[in-house]
Amino acid sequence: MAKTTKLTLSEWDTLHNNGPFPLKILYKTKLESPALMSSDLDRYNDAAQEIQSLITEAKNKNEGFRAYGSAWSMSKIAHQKDRMHFNAHMNTYFSFRNQDLHALSSYKAENLFLFQCGNVVKEISEKLAGHGKSLKASGASNGQTIAGCISTGVHGSGINVGSVQDYVVGLNLIIGPNPGDIVYLERDSKPALNNVFVQKLRSRVIRNDGLFNAALVGLGSFGFIHGVVIEAQNLFLLKRYVKELKKDKAIELAQKQNFKDFDGIPEEVKSNGEANLPYHFKVFVNQYKDNGKYVVEFMYKKPYKLNYPDPFPIIKKSLYRDLINLVVGIGAAVPASIPVFINLLKNSILPKVDEVSIGTLAETFWDAPYQGPAFAISFGVSHTNGEKALKILSKVSIDEGPVPGIFAMRFIKKSDATLSFARFPITCMIEIDGVLWNEKKKLGTLNGLSKKMIEALQNAAIPFTMHWGKNADWKFSGLVNHMYGADAKTWRKYRCSLLSDDMQKLFSNAFLKEVKLDKKEPSDPQLIQSLL
Amino acid sequence: MNLKKYLLPFVLLLFLVLLLFQSCYSVRLASTSGTPNPAAPMVRDDYYRAVEVTELDTVITIGVENKDFTYLIKVTDLCPTGKLHTVEYKNTFGALLLSAVTFGRKRKVKIKYVCMKE
Repeated sequence: MAKTTKLTLSEWDTLHNNGPFPLKILYKTKLESPALMSSDLDRYNDAAQEIQSLITEAKNKNEGFRAYGSAWSMSKIAHQKDRMHFNAHMNTYFSFRNQDLHALSSYKAENLFLFQCGNVVKEISEKLAGHGKSLKASGASNGQTIAGCISTGVHGSGINVGSVQDYVVGLNLIIGPNPGDIVYLERDSKPALNNVFVQKLRSRVIRNDGLFNAALVGLGSFGFIHGVVIEAQNLFLLKRYVKELKKDKAIELAQKQNFKDFDGIPEEVKSNGEANLPYHFKVFVNQYKDNGKYVVEFMYKKPYKLNYPDPFPIIKKSLYRDLINLVVGIGAAVPASIPVFINLLKNSILPKVDEVSIGTLAETFWDAPYQGPAFAISFGVSHTNGEKALKILSKVSIDEGPVPGIFAMRFIKKSDATLSFARFPITCMIEIDGVLWNEKKKLGTLNGLSKKMIEALQNAAIPFTMHWGKNADWKFSGLVNHMYGADAKTWRKYRCSLLSDDMQKLFSNAFLKEVKLDKKEPSDPQLIQSLL
Repeated sequence: MNLKKYLLPFVLLLFLVLLLFQSCYSVRLASTSGTPNPAAPMVRDDYYRAVEVTELDTVITIGVENKDFTYLIKVTDLCPTGKLHTVEYKNTFGALLLSAVTFGRKRKVKIKYVCMKE
């Protein structure tokens, strides 16, 4: 049997110290040893049974229950005040054969994998590499669990790829304590696995595009995500170039995405004069120094080969934490010093100009060790509004601060997920990342900063979204309706149709209440019908 | 009188020697492959915040006939695989001195290590 450790705690915190938040009970479940249960499928189903017993325990106490993985989110989306479940040790996986696929499946069996919720991106990449495969995209680092990634919409800057949830083709959810409460969701328009395999997961299959898209970015509130079926692809390499471009040129690329005409990297210009399209494009913006240039990162996809240059340095250095704390401490008391310090430390903050490297996706978006309390506010806008939104947000960060962080722009393809913040044809994510400061001094609050940013974009009539896993004034009146309109209601309708009343409550949390997505909608059996 | 004259320099010297004994440097080795065993809840505020770390601070005594020793990493709750991901060792002047004056028989071992996830 899977083994669960139950800890009685008074508080819980995120990796980046964005709490602490109150908590009563923390569960940690480990799979049964393979020495005692050799079948991976049996261990997977055994874990599902264990989770159902924990759900029963929470339900009987009329308390909430929420799974979390690596606690990387900076918002309180992962937190539940009653019972939280640490699932990173639930990390088995399955590959597939042709006989496991649905008759109408357009996928290749060799590209499909089911990963249990607690697999982190790094271990998924290593497991896939053993099959000659790779994830299609990841975030900027590799420590998030697969369930955490899709619940919050983790993204990179894959212009033509999308976010992590966009290569998910099936979801195995535990939506209650009873035997019929394990469901396997996939799209009716793009089925992946057949009923025979789904029965092995002791699950009820529902093939329904609308339901699947709603559950895809489920904010941890669509039941317990037990398994995620993804479509991988053959291993590939990313060639990375760091350049310094004139601001106008960098902004033109961001706004027009006219990479075919970009001749700034001669190695990527073809013989016909057209340039290759990058896999990844990122603009770093130090809002405190205008030298007329931006540092820009390009990555181009290359076929995989052996014996490419080692992408890792031999020695990896990091800044003195005490130095960062000192700088931020002084900055909180004397805000005018922050731009000076950021300019002094810019060589440690920004990538080195003219750097070139090559590596797999997993090697390129590699480990990010803990470097102290951190914040991030991240807005999604249409790429055509990127320049205007950047100007507005930079101005707020200077006027309200200056705050100890700098901006970056990344770009993502539109997602089909109902509540994905990548909802524009090309979404430009404008994010400010930095170090948390002492809000009792002269610098104002992070929430206040976020509120001013939201108001500024609203006043400029720029449609926007916000990253679910990052800091924001999530209590801002009408925020989610403003961002998602009718889609917010659609999401709630699917959730209320799939989950029973008591499970809606059990899988809710303060975050969901704050953004008004816990609001009850009439249950509609049509919405959860299997359409194939 | 003479005692008072030498007291202050003596205290200062003692302080310096103590400081010297504590003076240290650490070296960290980490694998580029493999996933470290994660921590829950996260209670540390240092480099190891996200992972389960085992800390060892002891003195190993070996016999005159022993050339060296090997500290064996066992499977434990903190180290479910028994396989190493990160090792950090710390060296102090005091530890070097201890080894020197005991002709290598006593060796101070101050290590932190993180194992691979199961």
